[in-house]
Amino acid sequence: MKGLLRYFVLLAVVMLVAAACSSDDSDSGTDTTAAATETTAATETTEAAPTTTAAPATTAPPTEKIDIDFWVAFSDEARLGFSEDRAAEFNEKHPEYNVRVTSFASYNDVFDAAVLAVDSGEPPGLIHFFEAATRQALDAVDGDLNPIFKSVTDAIAGRTEILGEPVVLDSVVDAARNYYTVDGSFYSMPWNTSTTVMFNNMDMLNEAGITTPPATWAEVETACAAVMALDDAPSGCITWPNHSWFVEQTLGQQGELLGNADNGRTGRATEVFLESDGMMNYLEWWKSLNDVGYYTYTGLQRDWDGTSNAYLAGEVAMLVYSSSDTTFFDENAEFTNVASFMPSDGDTDYVGNLIGGATIWMLDGMDTATEDGALAFLNFFSNPANAAAWHQLTGYIPITQDAVDLLEAEGWYDESPNSKVASDQLAAAKNTPASLGALLGNFVSIRDVITIAIEDILVNDLDVATRMADANAEANKSLSEYELLFGG
Amino acid sequence: MLIFGLVIAALLGPLYVFLNLERRSLQRYAIGSATAVAGAAITPLVMGRCGFTEGTSGVDHLLSLTLMWGAAWIALIALRSFFDRADGKAKASAAMAGEIRTGGYRMGWWVPWVLLSPTLLILVVFLYYPAFRTFTLSTKLTKLGAPRSIDVCFGNFTELLILNPAKLVAYPLIAIAVIYGARFWMNHSGPGTWSRKGADVASVVGMLAIFVAMYLMFSPGGGGQVDYRDVYVNTLIITVGIVAFGMIGGLAVAYLAFRKIRGGSAYRTLLIWPYAISPAVAGVLFFMIFDPTAGIFTHGMDVVFGIDVPNYRESAMLAQGSIILASGWKILGYNILFYLAGLQTVSTDQIEAAVIDGASSWQRFYKIVMPALSPITFFLLVTNLVYAFFEVYATVDFMTKGAPAGKTSIAIYEIIRVGVNNGDLGRGAAQSVLLFAAVIAITLWQFRTTGSKVSYGGA
Repeated sequence: MKGLLRYFVLLAVVMLVAAACSSDDSDSGTDTTAAATETTAATETTEAAPTTTAAPATTAPPTEKIDIDFWVAFSDEARLGFSEDRAAEFNEKHPEYNVRVTSFASYNDVFDAAVLAVDSGEPPGLIHFFEAATRQALDAVDGDLNPIFKSVTDAIAGRTEILGEPVVLDSVVDAARNYYTVDGSFYSMPWNTSTTVMFNNMDMLNEAGITTPPATWAEVETACAAVMALDDAPSGCITWPNHSWFVEQTLGQQGELLGNADNGRTGRATEVFLESDGMMNYLEWWKSLNDVGYYTYTGLQRDWDGTSNAYLAGEVAMLVYSSSDTTFFDENAEFTNVASFMPSDGDTDYVGNLIGGATIWMLDGMDTATEDGALAFLNFFSNPANAAAWHQLTGYIPITQDAVDLLEAEGWYDESPNSKVASDQLAAAKNTPASLGALLGNFVSIRDVITIAIEDILVNDLDVATRMADANAEANKSLSEYELLFGG
Repeated sequence: MLIFGLVIAALLGPLYVFLNLERRSLQRYAIGSATAVAGAAITPLVMGRCGFTEGTSGVDHLLSLTLMWGAAWIALIALRSFFDRADGKAKASAAMAGEIRTGGYRMGWWVPWVLLSPTLLILVVFLYYPAFRTFTLSTKLTKLGAPRSIDVCFGNFTELLILNPAKLVAYPLIAIAVIYGARFWMNHSGPGTWSRKGADVASVVGMLAIFVAMYLMFSPGGGGQVDYRDVYVNTLIITVGIVAFGMIGGLAVAYLAFRKIRGGSAYRTLLIWPYAISPAVAGVLFFMIFDPTAGIFTHGMDVVFGIDVPNYRESAMLAQGSIILASGWKILGYNILFYLAGLQTVSTDQIEAAVIDGASSWQRFYKIVMPALSPITFFLLVTNLVYAFFEVYATVDFMTKGAPAGKTSIAIYEIIRVGVNNGDLGRGAAQSVLLFAAVIAITLWQFRTTGSKVSYGGA
């Protein structure tokens, strides 16, 4: 009897687990974009269990196919699924090629795996890598000191179509083109590209008597005073992730450089400025918002999920976030969700916001047929229809002018005006080194130094100038070590 | 300085021979000296003179000399066992070896090695080689994909330590003096006297002195140094918390569940459940419970009682407490499993005898059950410590990411943050070596102290 009871319990446990699993499945099936967090986050996940999904080809060609591996740093169904679908379409259209998409947990995982694969002689063809590591990708070499990646522009070599796919590189919007053009060469093909915008719960703001989204820091404070004075005031007024990208955005807005050599754009940056006036200005404002309880800190660095949940749950009235999730907020907000430009300091002249996101890098050393296949896929992947679909799926900006034109012709922007804000904000930027953003070595570590310092300031109520002086020393040490390893 | 290290080693050799060997001769003194010099020469041969070159600090010299003399000491231990065997001291093992030689294996000395080779191959490829690489990496400044790497010698270690070499020597010596002082006092005080009570206190102070000394030896940060003191304190608090909560909780629950209750076996089966959950999932679960915006507990307290629960990630105590709770809960099932098994071995005769003698239930627990469980407790102490040191990364990553401002950044989290996420392989490797040394030291210490108090029953 006793033994029987134990088996019964075990059976119940198994059933419970099975039930839990199946309900998980249906959840993720209906709510795919919920898992889609912004991509500039250098996610810390280390459990990279790459899952290869060979895109099925419908026709069976007699000759052997040429495999092209495409390593993607997305693992959510929506964005990974998009790349897998495009690969399948490409394989169908070009039966002589087989583009295989492999998913990784983070950009760092993709890069580390690619470098190791180069060393072991079996590199992928294309990898997906993020903007902050552009310097690192350009500097990366194999065991024989040859660069790992090849410039896409050089490989295209002036052709206007490859294997019948029209080249779209020339149509890439300026903001992305300028960011990724280094030493006069456009190295990698931009894919997911976004900027920071503000999402406003207009129901709540209207209730507080605010009719238009705040555009400056002062207006944010006024709006917050009104919102927090409401009878049913939320627990906070505004939030955004403690991610260095937002700090970099405000430096761009104020025309302040993060690194020397024009933000590393006219030469290699050898010094970072974490104690600049623009930095102090922004961090002092951020801290003051936090001190009066207007800003809600979720307590985690790079917390895309927590901040987005707080906004959707109505715990804050405003959210500064990546435009990449515009569609997600439009679909999931149970209130009037209006996107607006990221608020800037009204007292300094506005220079410009910068992009964030990732590009697709092509590895060097492929034979001509494989390389042409990879280039054809890149141009197919961002052809006007695909680039527009990608924008509509997520909120990342349409990466080519042709895609913008297509979306305008379809009337998409009249239908969802929030989707236009990011492109408009980038178009409003003056093209200066400050608004382009910095190219730095060890940028991931430097970003880490910045976010830790900010957390320290917010949580432990430290003096901004003192704490940033420490951070500045640490970041400069990191950069100088990088230059020792990689510099000329 | 290098010569100084070798000369001292040459003098240490004969001294060791004098202190540890029964038969001493001029020849043996000479061999001892040569062995010590050879041992001390290993690290300079492998690493070069890098710890002594111009521009290195006193701390670099100190670390170099410590490594040289440490290697010399290990060489001397090996020499001693060789001489002991030659002197016929190790009779038992010699007898056993003889038995094996004349026993079943007559197929040649290589047969066991061939049979062992699959295991050895796996050990070498997946354990020894990576460990060796970690040691070499720890002396470098390097990144994946870099055209060059730079030898920094002990730089990755010295930046974790204070800059004053005199203090670095003094603190551990003081701690060791306190320990030996307490032991001396203990040996010279009669049982039951006030003096013995004082000695008991002193021995506890001695143990704490080691931890205090290490605290003082780690760098408080600033001036290009890493604030490793913070990491050390966090690791200490969280590790002690997890082990204490996991083991005391495990024993308490096992003791309660062991009693005869209706449906006991089903109940006991369910208790083991948390062990099957991965550290990452444990982190997510407790995140879901305590998260200030989406948490079940937080929301419930707000709705039911109107209590605004503070954000656990903004207070060092709450954040560390949450990590301890989540990780301790996860290891609880494992501890319960072993304690349940252990409780079945406790002699019911002894307990019955104690009941007849009028022992209270607490006395029965404290005087009979606890000692009978000591082998299990010892085993669990080791496994729980290893768990708390190495397997809490995912829990921290999901619950706090080191928040607030690094107060839950424990050694293993810091290693992965620096070495993997920031790609700073050398520093990550150096911190791994440090954690490796700490675990070796703790395990050795456990075997020496706790091990001797463990009763395995019988002979």
